[in-house]
Amino acid sequence: MANGDHEPDGDRHPPIQLTIWAVIALAVVAIAGLFTVRLEHHPESTRDYPPRPLIADGEVTLLPAPEVPDDYLPCGDCHDDVERETGPTPRELEFEHEDTKLAHGNLWCLHCHDSANPNNLRLADASLVSFEDSWKLCTQCHGRKLPEWRAGVHGKVTGNWRGDREYVTCVFCHDPHSPPTKPLEPKPRPRRPEEIVLRADRSGGA
Amino acid sequence: MGIFSRSKQAQEQPNGASKGSSRREFLKTAATVGAGAAVGAPAVASAMDFDFESFMQKNFRELSDQELQAVIERLERKYSKQYDKQVDVSAIGPMDGVLYGYGLDISRCIGCRRCVYACVEENNLSRDPEIQWIRVLEFERSAALREIKLEDGNPYYDHEQVPAEGKFYIPIACQHCEDSPCSTVCPTGATWQEPDGIVVIDYNWCIGCRYCMASCPYGARHFNWGEPNLPAEDVNPDMHIIGNVPRSRGVVEKCTFCIQRVRKGRMPACHEACPVGARKFGNLLDPNSEIRYLLDHKRTFVLKAELETHPKFFYFWGTEGRS
Repeated sequence: MANGDHEPDGDRHPPIQLTIWAVIALAVVAIAGLFTVRLEHHPESTRDYPPRPLIADGEVTLLPAPEVPDDYLPCGDCHDDVERETGPTPRELEFEHEDTKLAHGNLWCLHCHDSANPNNLRLADASLVSFEDSWKLCTQCHGRKLPEWRAGVHGKVTGNWRGDREYVTCVFCHDPHSPPTKPLEPKPRPRRPEEIVLRADRSGGA
Repeated sequence: MGIFSRSKQAQEQPNGASKGSSRREFLKTAATVGAGAAVGAPAVASAMDFDFESFMQKNFRELSDQELQAVIERLERKYSKQYDKQVDVSAIGPMDGVLYGYGLDISRCIGCRRCVYACVEENNLSRDPEIQWIRVLEFERSAALREIKLEDGNPYYDHEQVPAEGKFYIPIACQHCEDSPCSTVCPTGATWQEPDGIVVIDYNWCIGCRYCMASCPYGARHFNWGEPNLPAEDVNPDMHIIGNVPRSRGVVEKCTFCIQRVRKGRMPACHEACPVGARKFGNLLDPNSEIRYLLDHKRTFVLKAELETHPKFFYFWGTEGRS
């Protein structure tokens, strides 16, 4: 190319240079865009809610234990004389006690009941507790459940999450003579998609 | 210039007759049609049962207090009349310092589905076509020794008694993710997370495109394919405007943590219904709550953690092995 030659600009810029410039320009735009464009990742509520402090907390109450049926107690009616002494040896009981099936680990009656004080339960150190405080007897062996039960993680605290709430003692859910909770009949299964048919007017119907 | 030059050509036809498509003719026709529409539209609209105020209603988040009050009154009138009982629609807002969290004890759940039906009654779900916000999946215990795959769960189990031998149960509803994919993909902004952590839907604003349903990894959102059928005697009249107001055909709905209950301090309906105490609920920001206790003391997991949606629904084992 001699001096003074004026070739058209198009010939001086072969495609490769144009491409490089275009790529650089695009990269600049894209990087600039990253700083300016924000996707609404999870849109905040823009509603202007007035401040609303936590409502007052309430009391946590342990509900009274259920009533022991009348025909269950008075053990003392039969065992109040020397002819019907209770024996300390674990064994199969008969006669009046047949109705009570005991299926609670390796326990037998006198592990929990006190023969001298049939209207009370007995702890391992031979001290007595009332039927109302039977949870003290249960947590004697099931100690890990005690803090969980107090916190609401074992069993259930009902009522409110904020406000007054109640929880119940062990025997509300667990029969002490056969503690595992009983199976239930399940509620009906959901409809499969093919079982749900819409009528022509788009109202429901199966 | 195209139309008008053609009209000029039309006027210059050999027989001299105009084709009637001049600018003036066009404007006359447009005016006539417009007037006719303005007169006829209300008649057509009322015949089609068209609710103009509902149509023009703004997104819930943009309503002023007066507008919101007007919407509430309109809805209360409408539903009280429709269901023949005094309906109360609330718009109660979130409490400060509250982030709701839910816990579920899968060592206790027996799959009885009482939570499912308590939710249906509390939240005015359509009975027919049936919609259920909670699904209880049944899994094989032996399979869990290797891996729990949600896709292997069976929601259609039908035993005489539960729990069935060798099975365990995981109920699933909306996880109220901190990073919810549904609120990200909604094209209209009809679903969002409230300050107290509940992901809600403005049913009036939802256009029914179902992008949110495609994005939800838990299958927790449900669509009204048909007109919901809710018998009047089964209606729960205690409603919240972005909670359990009756929905219409063509909108998406899902669990709201019983927003009408929890914002007043009550427990969700599923929590109250559970007969074995498998459900736990509370304020994640309160260190003394039962939800915080179980997060601190129990082995806890969330579903599909690898997707990083950060659910606020925590599954745990209350007891591992025989107690």
